Amino acid sequence: MTIKYEIIDHTADIGLKIIGSDLKELFENSGLSLFQISSRKQFTKDKKHISVVIKQKSENIEELFINWLNELLSLSAARELIFHHIKVNKINETGLEAICQGSSINNYKVNIEIKAATYHNLSIKNNEKGWEARVILDV
Amino acid sequence: MSDVLRLEKIDDFRWRIPMDYKPGMRVPGVIYADERLLRDIREDKALEQVANVAFLPGIVNASLAMPDIHWGYGFPIGGVAVTDPAKGGVISPAGVGFDINCGVRMLRTDLAYEDIKHKLKDLVYALFSGIPSGVGSKGDIRVGLKEEEEILVKGARWAVEKGFGTQDDLDCTEENGAMQGADPAAVSSRAYQRGRAQSGTLGSGNHFLEIQVIDKLYDLKICDALNLNQGQITLMIHSGSRGLGYQVCEDYTRSMVQCLKKYDINIPDRQLACAPVNSDEGMAYLSAMKCAANYAWANRQCLMHLTRNIFEKVLNSSWQKMGMSLIYDVAHNIAKIERHIVDGENRELCVHRKGATRAIPAGHLDLPQKYMGIGQPVIIPGDMGRNSYLLAADESAEETFFSCCHGAGRLKSRSVASRTINADTLLKELESQGIIVKASGQSTIAEEAPQAYKDVNDVVKVVHSARIARRVCRMRPLGVIKG
Repeated sequence: MTIKYEIIDHTADIGLKIIGSDLKELFENSGLSLFQISSRKQFTKDKKHISVVIKQKSENIEELFINWLNELLSLSAARELIFHHIKVNKINETGLEAICQGSSINNYKVNIEIKAATYHNLSIKNNEKGWEARVILDV
Repeated sequence: MSDVLRLEKIDDFRWRIPMDYKPGMRVPGVIYADERLLRDIREDKALEQVANVAFLPGIVNASLAMPDIHWGYGFPIGGVAVTDPAKGGVISPAGVGFDINCGVRMLRTDLAYEDIKHKLKDLVYALFSGIPSGVGSKGDIRVGLKEEEEILVKGARWAVEKGFGTQDDLDCTEENGAMQGADPAAVSSRAYQRGRAQSGTLGSGNHFLEIQVIDKLYDLKICDALNLNQGQITLMIHSGSRGLGYQVCEDYTRSMVQCLKKYDINIPDRQLACAPVNSDEGMAYLSAMKCAANYAWANRQCLMHLTRNIFEKVLNSSWQKMGMSLIYDVAHNIAKIERHIVDGENRELCVHRKGATRAIPAGHLDLPQKYMGIGQPVIIPGDMGRNSYLLAADESAEETFFSCCHGAGRLKSRSVASRTINADTLLKELESQGIIVKASGQSTIAEEAPQAYKDVNDVVKVVHSARIARRVCRMRPLGVIKG
């Protein structure tokens, strides 16, 4: 699946620019981009697909965005899953509900360890084409 | 932004960002650099970040930056910020970073280059296969929840009690390998889950284990005291608190973003989220951070134990006979409550070192007896192609609250390095210089290429000339194991 993101330069870490036609797609693309930049599927050692429901509530869209990305990274590390399919079912600027499907990390070659998404230089904008977010990840 | 920033020259190695640069700065910024390094520093947004840190409530004297400073996410990497809890001073998880107590330890040996040159490849390959490295790597040291809690409190002592080291190792570790006041209840279950089974693992990215050889002696008196000579083999281990530390930082950044409103704190970057040191939130973070720091010391102790075992197997001798003792272990991502003299007054302060090393001089009460006369060993790893240094804290370290640089500092982004450097060509070049590299990820090799870093020789020249820490000896790499 091709999703819409590009890497922006940052001296120590990784910057990402992500776009989406609406807020739902922006959050889905942002979530998937974490795993697309860090891992590549190489094996099928474990055929199981595991679905996880993520619910987040925050004060504003910036916090929702950062909490969402960090919840994905944290769950991925704790449950040893790489998420390959994300469906955001409900979203507004202060809350979301999503179903994320992942398979075992053992099926992937993971090249980069993303520690977290950060607020530094974070921007989330809405224009006539849709939504665009810029975020710096600590690697 | 940085090109409009007017820096005031204090002397050849010190520069000031005036307080009027941004309304809201409570203190000036002070950067330790020479003109040459400053040119690189101005290339990214690190100086803006030094100015942003100067907004923190209760910050004392200045927002400090070491010569290896580069653009981070909130704090600059290579930043030191000290706050006064008695004057509303704050603690910020960003001033420590996600990899809490990322740090480095250095071992000496009685081995000379001649003793291992024919075994070097065997050693590198054995270390690479015997020490789990890479993203999310897991170790053979498995513990249950109760024991994991014990690690968070006891730190490196837990490993020594397991037989993975000696009391002498603890004496030569900052904080003796465990900060007091660590409260496992302040660590979330997700953090436990995320860090599970990662004790004794190196991690990925810039974490490494290196076999080095001393190629230059500077301070013969200290070299004698540490029993170090030219041509002698040394080792460096660079790792941190792995997933457990990342989650502690994330959990508390999340809660401290809420504290900005609660405590009416105005800062220009939300990643600098903070709370008063003496608030419930501040104290809880400090307790959890100490747990992660202790976990990291246990981790590096386990890594050293594995390294000693592998040397024993490959070289068919005991580590004691090979003189593989720990010189020192320093944290370079940490916040600590320390006593310092400010305006003639002995005050209890919160010292954030984000990519900076503690450097306490001779005679300081926190030094182990054996270093009382020479000052704290300060370990400065460089890149995998050039040099690393051992320094000792010097007399002017007081002005940095006893803090020094922590490495060479990145120059190029990972993506630029990956695009412009061919990993295979680089490996051949390094091999022609007598350096063997093994890495878990091919991308790591290009990202961690020497060209991606500043020259550590330039960085060390600044701290030496500014009399923060003096050069003791210099090493060059022979064998490199990367995550």
